[in-house]
Amino acid sequence: MKVSLKKVAQFSVLSSLLVLAACGGGGEQATGEKEGQAAGGGVITADIGVISYISGPGAAYGEAITSGLKLAQKEINAKGDVEINLLIEDSAGKQDQALTAAQKLMNSENVTAIIGPTLSTEMNVVGPEADLNGVPIMGTSTTAEGIPQLGEYVFRNSIPEALAIPASMTKAIEKYGAKKVAILYGNDDVFTKSGFDTMKKAAEDMDLEILTIETFQKGQSDYNAQLTKIKGMNPDLILASALYNEGAVIMDQARKMGIDVPFVGGNGFNSPEVIKIAGDAANGLIVATPWYGEKDDSKVKEFVSKFEEEYGKKPDQFAAQAYDALYIYAEALKNAGEADRDAFRDALAQVKDFNGILGNFSFDDEGDVVMDPTVLIIEDGQFKEFN
Amino acid sequence: MLIEQLINGLTLGSIYAIVALGFTLVFGVLGIINMAHGEIFMFGAFIGVILTTSLQAPLWVAFMSAIVITAMMGFLLEKFALRPLRNKQGVSHLAPLISTIGVSILLENLSHHLFGAGNHPFRASFAQISFEIGSVTIYLVQLVIFVISVILMMALSFWLGKTKAGKALRATAENLETASLLGVDTKRIITMTVIIASAMGGIAGILVGMAFNSVTPQMGLSMGLKGLAIIILGGMGNVKGAMAGGLILGLAETFIVVYGDSGYRDAIAFLAIIIILLIRPQGLFGQKISA
Amino acid sequence: MLAELINPYYLQVASFVLINIILGISVYIPLSTGQLSLASAGFMGMGAYTSALLTIHFELPIVLGIIAGTLVAGIMGVLIGIPTLRLQGVYLAIVTLGFGEVIRVLFVNWESLTKGSVGLSGIPHMGREILASLREFGFNPQSLGLQNNQFIFLTIFFLLLVITAFIIWFFRRQHSSRVGRAFAAIKLDEKAAESMGINITYYKVLAFAQGAVIAGFAGALYAHVLAYISPADFAYHRAVEILVFTVFGGSEVIWGPVFGSLFLTLMPEVLRFISEYRYMLYGLIIIIMMAVRPQGLIDVHLLELLKSKTAKRRQKYGAGNQKSM
Repeated sequence: MKVSLKKVAQFSVLSSLLVLAACGGGGEQATGEKEGQAAGGGVITADIGVISYISGPGAAYGEAITSGLKLAQKEINAKGDVEINLLIEDSAGKQDQALTAAQKLMNSENVTAIIGPTLSTEMNVVGPEADLNGVPIMGTSTTAEGIPQLGEYVFRNSIPEALAIPASMTKAIEKYGAKKVAILYGNDDVFTKSGFDTMKKAAEDMDLEILTIETFQKGQSDYNAQLTKIKGMNPDLILASALYNEGAVIMDQARKMGIDVPFVGGNGFNSPEVIKIAGDAANGLIVATPWYGEKDDSKVKEFVSKFEEEYGKKPDQFAAQAYDALYIYAEALKNAGEADRDAFRDALAQVKDFNGILGNFSFDDEGDVVMDPTVLIIEDGQFKEFN
Repeated sequence: MLIEQLINGLTLGSIYAIVALGFTLVFGVLGIINMAHGEIFMFGAFIGVILTTSLQAPLWVAFMSAIVITAMMGFLLEKFALRPLRNKQGVSHLAPLISTIGVSILLENLSHHLFGAGNHPFRASFAQISFEIGSVTIYLVQLVIFVISVILMMALSFWLGKTKAGKALRATAENLETASLLGVDTKRIITMTVIIASAMGGIAGILVGMAFNSVTPQMGLSMGLKGLAIIILGGMGNVKGAMAGGLILGLAETFIVVYGDSGYRDAIAFLAIIIILLIRPQGLFGQKISA
Repeated sequence: MLAELINPYYLQVASFVLINIILGISVYIPLSTGQLSLASAGFMGMGAYTSALLTIHFELPIVLGIIAGTLVAGIMGVLIGIPTLRLQGVYLAIVTLGFGEVIRVLFVNWESLTKGSVGLSGIPHMGREILASLREFGFNPQSLGLQNNQFIFLTIFFLLLVITAFIIWFFRRQHSSRVGRAFAAIKLDEKAAESMGINITYYKVLAFAQGAVIAGFAGALYAHVLAYISPADFAYHRAVEILVFTVFGGSEVIWGPVFGSLFLTLMPEVLRFISEYRYMLYGLIIIIMMAVRPQGLIDVHLLELLKSKTAKRRQKYGAGNQKSM
């Protein structure tokens, strides 16, 4: 008995020492400290933390996002009004790691503000913590419901599903006179699930007849059973809340089966990869997106060519949203005049009619997006504007 | 509609069966659950994709390469993850299970690096061939998958039952020490078993790629877990049981979509094994297990 | 001075280390009777969801929520433990794996209760609640020279530290008791143990249920530390991760899972820059450990060695230290 108690005591002393020792490494910090100063030339320097999904199954998202950010950083710093340092941390798509990454950025690195994390699930954990610490945080790809409502310091510049999906559905229904729809969605993923919730609500609001609701799960590659069932019901439209990787395969299998009605997808379905994976089968996919790479706009064209030059591939919406996000931060930083977290937050909330590559952008009272999405359709193996 | 669903179920079931055959072979001889089998299956699929799509190689070349490479993976798996654990004093019988879990984690993450996280389409003109009977469209691939699974099952049964190598293998399965005393080269037999099982995983992988036009690094895990469920359903180490179990699961998963809730599709396999193991631990077609 | 040293980042990591230690122990206990259970993630999920739902919907105090979550997981552990008794080794591993998956699928599909894969947010946060209730008594962390969030994480850390220490103490006591000896006898040879008059059914179910209780408890803590849970948190990968903690550290003595969880949770933080290769490294570690040192890094032998070394040192450097312990 005595011996074991001693062991426990030893252990606890040891571990607290360990932790304290580890704390010592983080030395000179104190939260909310002002970092940037308006130096002689009026350049405002700020550290911006980035939490992104860099390793694991969703690494492609993180790669696109960080590419977009780095490109924007280069351009912004070259202009000379503000000097932004990016501190990029990996979350591996997991909430606990996103939270520790955020803690590190907020408390050890003392960043002025944070961009990210990539997934809405991660933001659900990180957002309240950032808000508590008074660190402004902006999601560039978090489209689920309720994200900006997490707190005063939580923003996003990614167009929420609640805005995108009804927009594409309305246009599709107008064009095809659809009355009966079938819904297919991935039920074990927060992104596709929340997209489905929006779809279902929109379909009910529009008085559409929902023939059936089918689900699929991650790692599945056989959607034939669900599609055969849908086919038997002859819907006018199929609403599919899927990420592009799965969505493209679903379309491929559907077309092979002889289902030729149009698909309406959510934000995650919107990627040039769909065409690459599904080929001709991708024709007839309708998505609403803030990002349209073929837009006849000098800013967009410049961004696309620069991005291709730098990374050797076309930017997707994740890269574009991240790119714009950093510009929005730069703008807010300039208006705030200093790299103070509170001043920055107030300046950020004031951002209005910002003209980026995604179009005209403003925040609403809650820090959510105000902008008009473009509705696109894939025709002849290309994204085109859908009218 | 019902006939189409039946075909869907049989196609899926045949693939499950081929995967399960690989599991059951290794278990039958070594008494080991090879948790890395799903990942080897996934590698087979990726080799097929890369050869046919990126290198424009003909399908048969892709098939042969997939078989050769997954067989090699089987050899390495045996050499590095299983052999060191054999004949070692004080090693728990759970060690090989854990060790193959390690291999599966390694391979899954390796494939993220080698092939990227995205979905790779499988472009083979062979996969586009279809014919119609009445209102039902059948793809040649679906037929081929079913036929291959039956052939593999019969070949395995024949090989195990009638040939000398098969007998040696069964002897090894029965009792490793006795077999080796009787002059069976057990080391070779074991290596061969793992190699054959892995190659079968490779075949299954390439067939899935063709049938569903989808290859991702995550496909190994879900397929591996299903295969595991099937061999318990059909009886561990039982070739015909694996086939039957595969078809049953394929059909059950398809028909829960038709008549039930597709959300529970992934749970059927595990509910089935929980029930089976509690009621009839030897599996549907297995003999009583001797402890 | 002290306030500047307390960095929530390190405390956060330390908290996860402690939770993972508890999880590691939840695999170690059944394993000490020779039962390999992969259901830890499932039990963890049950504990987490039970506690989260109760505290959200019925505004139960967190303590009661955690107790309820632990109990539900424990009851489930008994229910699963009894019928699976007849299953040996690998079969048990697969059934428990299946059980975990079924639980996860249930969380995904039972949307009216669990909100499906969207997950439960707004779970009362342990540290924030403690701060809030202390505030009612007029306490202010600034009086200690601490920021709010520093205080929050410090409380969580010390709370978890005490809990973990208690759990380790308890199981070390149990190890050297009648129960522990029965566990060891069963692990060594079940039939021999039975013929010696040990009630195998009782002890095996006890070990399994203890594992479930511990896992459920850790899950409930996890829910109130993270304030958000979703079914994906309790999937196959989590089960394997917990297993790896124990296998890597060592499954013979309780210090094995403790060390394994500590090391493997800290490693990715220290090596954040190679995070891409982290899981590949995990896989490699498992393979190498099984081949080279299947009993894990820390075993009885190593402990003996350490003990004799420290004993020698004590003799050398006098008895002064001993008094202060």
